[in-house]
Amino acid sequence: MLRFIVRRLIITIPTILVVITITWGLIRLAPGNFYISEKAIPAAIEKNIREKYGLDKPWYEQYGHTIWNIVRHFDFGTSLKYEGQSVNAIIARSLPVSATVGILAYLLALVVGITAGSIAALKPNSKRDYASMALAMLGISIPNFVLGPILILVFSLTLYWFPPSRWNGFPSRNVVLPVLTLSGLYMAYIARLTRAGMLEVLRSDYIRTARAKGLSETQVVIRHALRGGLMPVVSYTGPALAFLVTGTVVVERLFVLPGLGSYFIQASLNRDEPLILGIVAFVAITLLLMNLLVDIAYAYLDPRIRY
Amino acid sequence: MKACQRGSIRRVYLKELIAAVTIASFVFGTISCSVVATPGDFYGNTTPPKRNILRYVNGDEPGSLDPPVSTGQPEARIYMALYQGLIEYDPRTFNAIPGLAERWDINNDSSEFVFHLRRNAVWSSGDPITAQDFVYSVRRGVSPALASQNAYLAFYINYAEAYFRKAVFAKDSKTNQFVLEKDVAESALSASPGATTSLASEYDSGVVGPESIQGPDVKASPGAETTFHQFMHSPPRLTLPGNEEARNKLLAKNPKLQAALEGKDFVPVSAEDIGVEAIDDYTVRISLSQPAPYFLGLLGHQLFRLAPRKIIEKYGDQWTQPEHIVTCGPFKVKEWLHYSELVVERDPLYWDAANVHLDEIHFFVSQDNPTSLNLYKVGEADAVLNHAVPNAWLQVVRPKKDYMDGAEAAIAFLNINVTKPPMNDIRVRRAFNMAIDKISYAKSRLVTKPLSAFTPEGIFVGYPQPKGDPFDPEQARKLLGEAGFPVTKQGDGFQCKAFPVGEVEYIFNTNSSNKSMAEYMQAQWKQNLGITVPLRSMESKTFLPARNKLEFKGFAVGLWAADYMDPFTFLGLFMTPDGSNGSGWFDPKYVAMLNEANLTLNPQRRYELLAKAEKYLLDNQPVIPIETFAVNWLKKPYVKGMYPNAASLYPWKFVYIERDSSKWDYGVPSLSD
Amino acid sequence: MNNDRPTIPGDHDQPEPGLTPDPALSYREGDIIHTAPEFALADADVLAAERSDVIASTSLWRDAWRRLLKNRLAVFGMIAVVFITVACLLGPLVIKQLTGMTPDLIPSGVGHIRSTPPLRAPDGSFSWLHPMGTDNQGRDLLARVLQGGQISLMVGIIATLVSLLIGVSYGATAGYLGGRIDNLMMRAVDVLYSLPYIIIVIVLLSVFKSQTARGQVILLFIALGSVSWLTMARIVRGQVLSLKNQEFVLAARATGVSTPRIIFRHIVPNTLGPVIVYATLTIPTVMLTEAFLSFLGFGVQAPLASWGSLATDGIQNIGIFPWQLVFPGVTMALTLFSLNFLGDGLRDALDPQGSRQ
Repeated sequence: MLRFIVRRLIITIPTILVVITITWGLIRLAPGNFYISEKAIPAAIEKNIREKYGLDKPWYEQYGHTIWNIVRHFDFGTSLKYEGQSVNAIIARSLPVSATVGILAYLLALVVGITAGSIAALKPNSKRDYASMALAMLGISIPNFVLGPILILVFSLTLYWFPPSRWNGFPSRNVVLPVLTLSGLYMAYIARLTRAGMLEVLRSDYIRTARAKGLSETQVVIRHALRGGLMPVVSYTGPALAFLVTGTVVVERLFVLPGLGSYFIQASLNRDEPLILGIVAFVAITLLLMNLLVDIAYAYLDPRIRY
Repeated sequence: MKACQRGSIRRVYLKELIAAVTIASFVFGTISCSVVATPGDFYGNTTPPKRNILRYVNGDEPGSLDPPVSTGQPEARIYMALYQGLIEYDPRTFNAIPGLAERWDINNDSSEFVFHLRRNAVWSSGDPITAQDFVYSVRRGVSPALASQNAYLAFYINYAEAYFRKAVFAKDSKTNQFVLEKDVAESALSASPGATTSLASEYDSGVVGPESIQGPDVKASPGAETTFHQFMHSPPRLTLPGNEEARNKLLAKNPKLQAALEGKDFVPVSAEDIGVEAIDDYTVRISLSQPAPYFLGLLGHQLFRLAPRKIIEKYGDQWTQPEHIVTCGPFKVKEWLHYSELVVERDPLYWDAANVHLDEIHFFVSQDNPTSLNLYKVGEADAVLNHAVPNAWLQVVRPKKDYMDGAEAAIAFLNINVTKPPMNDIRVRRAFNMAIDKISYAKSRLVTKPLSAFTPEGIFVGYPQPKGDPFDPEQARKLLGEAGFPVTKQGDGFQCKAFPVGEVEYIFNTNSSNKSMAEYMQAQWKQNLGITVPLRSMESKTFLPARNKLEFKGFAVGLWAADYMDPFTFLGLFMTPDGSNGSGWFDPKYVAMLNEANLTLNPQRRYELLAKAEKYLLDNQPVIPIETFAVNWLKKPYVKGMYPNAASLYPWKFVYIERDSSKWDYGVPSLSD
Repeated sequence: MNNDRPTIPGDHDQPEPGLTPDPALSYREGDIIHTAPEFALADADVLAAERSDVIASTSLWRDAWRRLLKNRLAVFGMIAVVFITVACLLGPLVIKQLTGMTPDLIPSGVGHIRSTPPLRAPDGSFSWLHPMGTDNQGRDLLARVLQGGQISLMVGIIATLVSLLIGVSYGATAGYLGGRIDNLMMRAVDVLYSLPYIIIVIVLLSVFKSQTARGQVILLFIALGSVSWLTMARIVRGQVLSLKNQEFVLAARATGVSTPRIIFRHIVPNTLGPVIVYATLTIPTVMLTEAFLSFLGFGVQAPLASWGSLATDGIQNIGIFPWQLVFPGVTMALTLFSLNFLGDGLRDALDPQGSRQ
């Protein structure tokens, strides 16, 4: 197990570097640059700007400089568009927003999804099984940028219960609608996965034993079945996080949240290279680490798995 | 067996599924069948905020809190709160009222201004504000190092432009006398203003304020006589390009000039040479290089609002960080949550703090209008920025009593890239212009007025605005035919087979109103000329360089809002020799006409000359004018002290929250209160 | 409904006959495969495919077809998809005949254009002219939704085909060649997963500027196709890994058939089963992605429209004209709903034993 973890961690580093390099290359390919504005800039001023940001050096020098700073000091530099703000600072302040919404959404999805899926699995092929699975399928088919505005329409613009956008910190009314919108898709997926996993587990021998022993259904489910039945959910967590990134972009845009997704989109549109690289690297590291954690959890849940 | 089971169970519930889907669709349909009801006089919730604050949806995230630097409207509004200039704007009329200056004197041809500052004004740090602070701010604002894009507004000040362009004087090292313009006037430069233009054209592109006029001989300025003042009133010195290559090119063209400069040293124009002077701690004198009656109004612009020297010298680039920043306006920075809001709070040290009513202003960041309006409706925002009401919502929002209507000094037009065929043929350009029914477009927009000229209609009182070509599709088709692209009838419409559709396009930066405009124009041309011009939307970052560098074929959308209340702020857009105005059109004759107008002292005569230049511009059709804008925004009835104005800037110190609902504004607040 | 069941890795961990995988290089040494989220429901199958469990022989097409028909939900999905496709293809013409409305028709000379609710005329009275209402420019929404469907479906199908092409070739090659090359190719796939694809797409869509709306659509095919081939490659690779040691392959090798021919003529056709299933499941994913891109402004440009761009336009007006979002959104949801059912059904049909009982 330990060897496995170490090996994975070691592989992470070159992977991240490759990711950064490819992103860097793609940014350089794109036209336009960060200092364009409404009026045409006189040539002398443009020259000054290019000198100031080191754009007049040959590309491999710039690349080397960038990579060196990242590897050596974890320093992604300062944002080109937001004067004087370091990329690390921007990520540090926007991460809590995205993380809060993402984590809450996923927790909600887990709670509701697992419950719904388990209930469905306990009485397979019944009306309620059917109904919840159809609902789940609906949840998968409705894009989050359709669901979100409908929620806004009903709960914000008509009932005035929640603000339609903006962020006011964690325990505030602003959290509710974004979390609901984001979790819809995952709720559905998790419900289906739980149901499938639970169905298989509930058919197996050791569950039959437990039931024969006279344990109540609740005990059977919670103490015995869940552990095995949740494996597909656990293994889904990895890719779900990847999806969470794009889902978060949509939600942050719909609700105008100052999170990583918003900054990322803005940075791409602004060709703000340091910020793009910083966020890309950060997201990549997070995903790889989370996948590792998921694999470990997987092993924990199923004692038959060995690394 | 399993498969059997699955199938049969499913069969039973299939009907339920179909029923469920049908019901769901019906419910959805019902939701949409009614326009979401907005009863009442006002749009949305009208509960005032609990605290004495204003929440204003300001627009994009502000780039910088440094007043001379940014060019955007959101920043401009913030500067109105944080910084003060010599004058402030009256919230109703936008005339100049005392700001840091208690009173002022102007000489009789508006070429020299003396301001007497109040003694009790201090920075938010407690230090007193002095005349030297103003001088520092202006020098900094036009410094080439800062490279502010607003610097041109200060070019009326003597030698300001020369300083900005890093020009040089020519000095005789033996006599320490500077070469004067009049010394070389006969030799190489003719006395007409056009000549200065040729000098200026050696510089980088930009608006040129001619320097070749003799300083007026009037001495109406009070204030102590100083050497600097004498310098200002002495005949103007000759300025030459600072860049050696450009200078040598110029000299090579003018052998007489070269002879006159034989053996002279070149001394860079320094910040101390520009025409702002602190006569004493509380008196400022500004000397202009030419009469400019509208200059007083310019002094409220962010470029002329004061920036704190001590802080800037200490922290450099970082001086605007919330922990360092020092301001001089009615409000100071409290908190800056990037991408979310900028919070400013009342500065108790402000000289007029007693008359500042709000405790805080929250400038919300919002990138699109529906979001802004939704915030407003729910009551999370108290007022929204200009043009926040999407056109399509007007039918619902306009009848509301919190909708603010008014004329605006801003226009929309289409740049035409005149350097590439087929648009280099003026007949083609005129044809496309005349094929658009601007009147019905304005009708569909509800709040704008159709425009055939290049200055906004109805804004400049007494300006004899010329008229461009009217909507005349017949004539348009005829012109196209003359240009070699005959238009023939096809079914209900037209077709123009010969026209190289691949050589034109219509580019615009992505937002919903640009998109609607683009689609409308496209439809008009299709309808009246039988030509479908392809549309291309781009993000700002790609659109702006493409337009400015003329990397497009055909049409590029353009918008311009007045920097100050004068037609020249629009007409001056086409004075750049390199054609970086987005159309590639440049005509020295046009520039000469504008310069002639600006040198005229009589305001009415000046207007007439400007109108003449505008007519010339319209005849050459480098743009297709579309519409004059109107302001349209919303404010809650309990927000008082904000009035619609042509510039959409609000002196925030006059704004307050009225909790007595009988005193609320029902409709546009009357200017006579 | 479906029998997703996680395979316990290691259960089938036997070395392939004739090949001793180098443990240090073997891709399967205890690694959990992380699949694209859209295939999470089929994770088990992907896992199985990678573990070289051959999904039931696909030579029995007719049997599969019969099984599919028995699955009422899948049939419902199939009918719905066919109906929507036909409606989108023929609908605009039909509507033009019936009411004269086309997707681009902006009524002119009418003063201020309003967005009218469904089944209403601008003055508020009942009217059959616009069953879905109109958008802000006064264009009939039903016609636009149908035309949008054309584009959305077309993008979905063609981008899926593109991803099929790339994915199948890549995966088959990797699987067949095996060893280091295979490892390298799959690691590349891993890295590509971590790239935030929005950056790729933004760059792609701006570097290769498109002059026309049609050009933009073609760009979208390529862009979308090139980010969704990854899982397909994995699946095909898994299949190929197990197929490549079967007799017919050995026979072909013995008779001297060239490697590319073996891969594409002999092996790939036998992987068609899962390929079809995942293609059907990829279509809705791609459509969602295109909608996402339209939401950000990179999708189809005016005057063309897709469901995604229609919904995006509609979001702007949700507070006042909700039908502009609801109709395209619901239509899209229904289509995706049906496609998902169809995909599920196909999977069940092609793999009836639920091979992992």
